[in-house]
Amino acid sequence: MPSSTSNFDFVRPVPDLPWRGLLLAVTLLTAVAAVAWEIRVRAWGYVPTYTDDSDLWADRRGKVKPDSIVIIGDSRALFDSDLNTLEQGLGQRPVQLALVASCAYPILENLANDESFHGTVISSLLPMIWLAPPPSPPYQKSVRALHRYRNRTLAQRSSHFIGLWLEGQLAFLNDDDLTLEALLNHLPVPNRAAAQIPPPGPPYFFNMDLDRRSWMIDQAVHPGKLQDRVKYGWPPLFTPPPPPSYVPKEAFLAGVGKAIEARFGDTAAAVKKIRARGGKVVFVRYPFNGPLKEIEDKATPRAGPWSRILKESGAPGIYFEDYPELAGFICPEWSHLSAPDSVEFTKRLVPHLKQALATP
Amino acid sequence: MLFNSLTFVVFFVLVLSAYWTMRSWTARKNLLLVASYIFYGAWNPPFALLLFATSALDFYLGARIAAADDPRARRAWMITSVTVNLSSLGFFKYGNFLLTNFEWTLSKYGVAYHAPQFDVFLPIGISFYTFHSLSYTLDVYRKVCQPTKSLRDFTLAVSFFPQLVAGPIVRAADFLPQLVTAPGLKRGQFYWGLLLMTLGMFEKIVLADTMLADTADTIFGYGGPLQALDAWAGVLAFSGQIFFDFAGYSTCAIGAALCLGFHLKDNFRFPYAAVGFSDFWRRWHISLSTFLRDFLYIPLGGNRSGPVRAAINLMIVMFIGGLWHGAAWTFVVWGLIHGVLLVIERLVKAVTKDAAWTEAFMTRLLMGLFTYAAVCFAWVFFRANDFSTAARIVAAMAGQIPHGVGAALLPTLSLWKVGVVIAGLLLAHRALRDTSIEAVVTRMPRWLVTALWTLMLGAIILTQGNGHAFIYFQF
Repeated sequence: MPSSTSNFDFVRPVPDLPWRGLLLAVTLLTAVAAVAWEIRVRAWGYVPTYTDDSDLWADRRGKVKPDSIVIIGDSRALFDSDLNTLEQGLGQRPVQLALVASCAYPILENLANDESFHGTVISSLLPMIWLAPPPSPPYQKSVRALHRYRNRTLAQRSSHFIGLWLEGQLAFLNDDDLTLEALLNHLPVPNRAAAQIPPPGPPYFFNMDLDRRSWMIDQAVHPGKLQDRVKYGWPPLFTPPPPPSYVPKEAFLAGVGKAIEARFGDTAAAVKKIRARGGKVVFVRYPFNGPLKEIEDKATPRAGPWSRILKESGAPGIYFEDYPELAGFICPEWSHLSAPDSVEFTKRLVPHLKQALATP
Repeated sequence: MLFNSLTFVVFFVLVLSAYWTMRSWTARKNLLLVASYIFYGAWNPPFALLLFATSALDFYLGARIAAADDPRARRAWMITSVTVNLSSLGFFKYGNFLLTNFEWTLSKYGVAYHAPQFDVFLPIGISFYTFHSLSYTLDVYRKVCQPTKSLRDFTLAVSFFPQLVAGPIVRAADFLPQLVTAPGLKRGQFYWGLLLMTLGMFEKIVLADTMLADTADTIFGYGGPLQALDAWAGVLAFSGQIFFDFAGYSTCAIGAALCLGFHLKDNFRFPYAAVGFSDFWRRWHISLSTFLRDFLYIPLGGNRSGPVRAAINLMIVMFIGGLWHGAAWTFVVWGLIHGVLLVIERLVKAVTKDAAWTEAFMTRLLMGLFTYAAVCFAWVFFRANDFSTAARIVAAMAGQIPHGVGAALLPTLSLWKVGVVIAGLLLAHRALRDTSIEAVVTRMPRWLVTALWTLMLGAIILTQGNGHAFIYFQF
């Protein structure tokens, strides 16, 4: 009988090659290729930046204290809120929890259900995506971030920690433009005429720090190819997709309508929960202009969802167009402010925030 | 901890450095044991206790089986081991599945019963380590191996981190002997291990996750009728994804073990070049199919009691094999499809009796293609979340689209990616069918080995990895 104390007779074969030399050659070639690629992408204008993923978001969510000021919402809250200026103006550094292309309702709900939280929520309210029903991509984005926050393993945390160090050093670790997948997507391969392909997201056009403060990069601020790619990418992204062909249109629209209706009530309930604990919630409509304004105003006129959410929740709101000092900003790519403008906008926003938050 | 994570890179470098620095074999084994529990606990520390409890119990039961003189006592201890292991697996993995089916059965008799759902996590890799551990008591019972006297060695055999959470299912009888004396490294073994790890990572990160996963997810996640092209692309993509994902993990495991001086057997042998379904199962997840053969099929009687009984035994084995993969009837159907195909193959072989034409090149080529197509058909049930999704996809593959309108969901680039990768996969499997990766690399010019290794490493770095879990972790 073979025994556990005898020698095992299976031995894997090993190819007979000059392995040390091979490994040395592979290491050198890989290092040279990586350095060359890094030099090339820096010449194209890329710089090291942190990937705006669920891990970085979860880090920030973990920083929320019971009395924190928290910013939630979509990319406008991310680009247009200068954390230093808010810290100076409000006396406390806010925690940036806004997520690009996300419906922030699940995050508001998460804060509302956090019994210890009685701080302040500054929320961007972009009705088209605030009302996005589950399981639409904007809604799922917030759900995924929350799931990561709740379920991160030790291994995931340490990988993120090491990854942050690498991302801070290497420009080619750009998640938007320079992964193998993103590079393959640049291949000029036309799609089939009838293909139902979702519009692509914007290319890399902002940098982010560890506080998740985001700045639009210069190439997107100034007219040019990148700015055009970003701004002409918005209209398809802000156009609701057609109902799926396999569900009767009336039934689909009725279902969406029901979900939207529920969102009004749920939002009001979440705001009231936070306020009942002594917390505050203020909604902000950040600047946007150009053809995007026409699309948004037509789809969600101000008298519609914005007014209804404020009315039903009882929360104060700051609509940029109501105040001349906030209304004059131009978004270079129609949707977000440039970095210098975001600082100025925030300076001008602070008094309005103070006033809104002072309201009982 | 995932192989395709930065944490693992750092972890492995630290473990390797410490391991090869230590002179004492005992200290090295202690290090590996601690490292393996860190590897596992980095996911959810409390479940490391379950892993230890499983190992400790089977260590004890193995000793009891060996010490018992009375065959009935030996059998009782063995049954205890099987019962406890499968109960643990059943509780964590099949609890809610059983309750749901219980509710459904009662409802058929007009009883509206709603059982409370278990709110339990599935311990990662529980199906694998349960089988690692169970193989020991079963092999001791079968007198295939003697029990070890070292609890440390046994817990290390069960938890050895390269194969802990997603296989291969390394039997204690194959691993314990390697713990007796300190392993030496053959010339080139360490470097070959690193190359295998690179190959495994490349398969997982680049081919499975980057080239194929999105296509499979899009198609299997869609709720409506599809065009035939899209359905086929989705299914072919999944056939490649699951191979590269799982074979990639096994290759990494074999490579990591080699770097530490251990030898694990192959878990895959170019399965998509299989000609026939028994050939497929000799090449796909070999450690599971041999486990089921030795511990289920043969004890059931194998093919010793006539063709009818052998067919029933095969169906039982494939039923269990399907259920092992997941607590859902779709997995069971996947297993049963393979069972039916295996039975039909035996019937056909009995009729043709190895006629000369069955060995002709064209016959084998067509049989190979048919095997791959049938395996892909079965994958539909493996991947689909429910039967309605599976039915939609099968209908679309057959060109049966309601009202003639099916969605074209995939970008042309995705179709190209699937086409190129799957064609490459099938050609590679065909070319390597009767050889081994070691033999091929030995014959390769050195510059080509260097170029391929560099390209794989470069593609991994460029892809950056997005931390996708391996599919087989959930099993």
